[in-house]
Amino acid sequence: MERKVLLAPLDPVHDIGLKMIKRGLEESGLETRLLPPDTPPEEIIRIALDEKFNTLLLSRTLGYGVAELLARFVDLADAAGLRENVKIGIGGMAIRPELAAELGFDAGFGPGTTVEEAVAFVEGREYNPEETIIKKEKTDFTAPYKYTYGNQTMGNLLDKVSQQIISWVGNKTSPGVERAKLREELWDYQSFLKMQENQEFLKKYPELCDQVPKDYYLQGKIHPKTRELTKEELENYQSFITEIKERMKVKKLQHRRKAPVIWNQYGTGCPFMDIGHIKVSESWGADGVVHFDPSWGARTEGFLGGDLTHQEDGTVITPNNLARIYQSLEKSTLWQVRAHRGLNTPETVVLAGKIGADFTKINVCYGSLAAGTDPARLTVDGFYAIKYAAQYKMPFDIVTNEELTGVPAYKAFAGMLIMADLAIKLGARPILQPLFAYSPEMMIGGQMEDNYIDFNAAKIYALRSIIDAPIWPGAPIGFLTQTEDRVQSSMSTSLHALLATALGVDAISIASADEAYSGGPISVPSKIDTLRGVEESFRFLGNAGIKPTAKAEQWQKEIIDGIEGVLKQVAAKGDFVQSLYDGLLGTREEGAYPGRAGRNTVEEI
Amino acid sequence: MAKLMEKVMDALDVETFIVCDSEDEGKGIALEMMKNLGFDDADLVFIEFIGPGARIRARAYLHRSGDKYGWLFSSREGGK
Repeated sequence: MERKVLLAPLDPVHDIGLKMIKRGLEESGLETRLLPPDTPPEEIIRIALDEKFNTLLLSRTLGYGVAELLARFVDLADAAGLRENVKIGIGGMAIRPELAAELGFDAGFGPGTTVEEAVAFVEGREYNPEETIIKKEKTDFTAPYKYTYGNQTMGNLLDKVSQQIISWVGNKTSPGVERAKLREELWDYQSFLKMQENQEFLKKYPELCDQVPKDYYLQGKIHPKTRELTKEELENYQSFITEIKERMKVKKLQHRRKAPVIWNQYGTGCPFMDIGHIKVSESWGADGVVHFDPSWGARTEGFLGGDLTHQEDGTVITPNNLARIYQSLEKSTLWQVRAHRGLNTPETVVLAGKIGADFTKINVCYGSLAAGTDPARLTVDGFYAIKYAAQYKMPFDIVTNEELTGVPAYKAFAGMLIMADLAIKLGARPILQPLFAYSPEMMIGGQMEDNYIDFNAAKIYALRSIIDAPIWPGAPIGFLTQTEDRVQSSMSTSLHALLATALGVDAISIASADEAYSGGPISVPSKIDTLRGVEESFRFLGNAGIKPTAKAEQWQKEIIDGIEGVLKQVAAKGDFVQSLYDGLLGTREEGAYPGRAGRNTVEEI
Repeated sequence: MAKLMEKVMDALDVETFIVCDSEDEGKGIALEMMKNLGFDDADLVFIEFIGPGARIRARAYLHRSGDKYGWLFSSREGGK
């Protein structure tokens, strides 16, 4: 049967709500007619009868005299026989469903009513709010990419450098690689969950560790800045997380576009506080969360065990901590465990992969030039880490944080592309992570004096012209543009998110509004600030765009030329590791210092 | 009050405008105010002094990482 809906505002002026519902009804294929405001009730009833409408939707925004007005309308409708064939709904700011029911309307819609709810009433079906609950699914945003080179000269140079690395690593190992092998061969996640750990693993593992983990396994001593969570805390946590998970709903920040995936970092030091932060991030729309571990963890050979809380930034990687965090995640939440910079790089990938991480992070160049690990050591460890990332089907980003010490973008990008090419050859799925940052190069060179758009756009254009690969600017976007003012900080993050979206990138990492505050831990509300801001920026942009100035193209070309120059030098040197020590991918003057952690620990097999 | 504060996940921020003559004075007032409100672990996240005074965001940490979190326990006690 054809359904015709008559819409009539019982107000002198207000009819916006009905106009919105009218559009929803028409999109559902229903015939509608909207009467002008202040049409007399008698006239509304006459039109409904004469033109054989099936449904009448009335609205009332003004509160005064509403009960009397509606009661009179119902009387008139009854007297005219309208109720026999026409169902009548009433909605608006002044309406409460109880009042509508009391007066005899077929339905009453109060403030907050959705268009879908009104459409369901007209179509005579029960409104099911479940249908409007957002359903999120994990997505592998690397899947559409083919990793082919648009710039073949660059592809050929990268091939040469990758072959250097593969050949150099061929007969080498390190304590990190050996621990990763042990973890891979003898440690099983399901057995761990059943508290049936492999005794052979526990016997061999401490031998490959530094003193602190050794003391933990052999003498039960824990790191001085950590403590074991108590039995009482663990029991209460279980009740807490069960209750929270029961009422969890996830939110989507993307408006019309599917991308970018939004990542939030956590790493308060405590797995319980982390989980509190994660549940907030998920609720306010983050698609993925990144595990941030303490800096001393990256300089220590081996992982600790147990349920450890830490009094400073960064949550200690232990199987217990990672497993607890993983189990707290919503099914749709992507999880990244960073492995990129330290002495536990390959083992982090194995452990995270076994527990269930979706992504990891590896960059030999950044880790050895700006994060303190010896280049030779990290080249061996990074190589195996990439192989494990491929084995566990974990795409990984290659962050170019060496830009933050002053290394020019083109040099950091050369290093990133070397890692990406090596990863492709080893069967992994790398993600390019250029910084969207007001880096020292920008501060000194003045490229961002006018705007933050052109140089960031140039980076994306340059990378896209070189290789067909996913791009995930970070980390976080807008780094060094944010101040301690939470309005400015949220705004800057949101505008960078808007730019990243306009440039069509696949993912972004966003900071909290506390990004620039160094006096204490990041607070939960400050995470919500930026998630809300980013949501609003997506709503603002929709499918529209941002137009960079001509500078973007000029800088794109300069970046490409710069990368090519660096790759030529590294390829000509014939030794990737020596290139790192010699500053081809970042000099000491630029703030890149080859790290010392793990020096002289690489062994030939 | 103390029981209520257990429900705060980590920190409580106070945002306001303080009429003062300088940034230093505004900072002093803000921190003293937090102390008078009973917050021992307080800091000034942000201050911007212009014209008649200072826009501030002061923060008190109710739970820092590694603490025993009230909300972890009160959730169970006050729960279903």
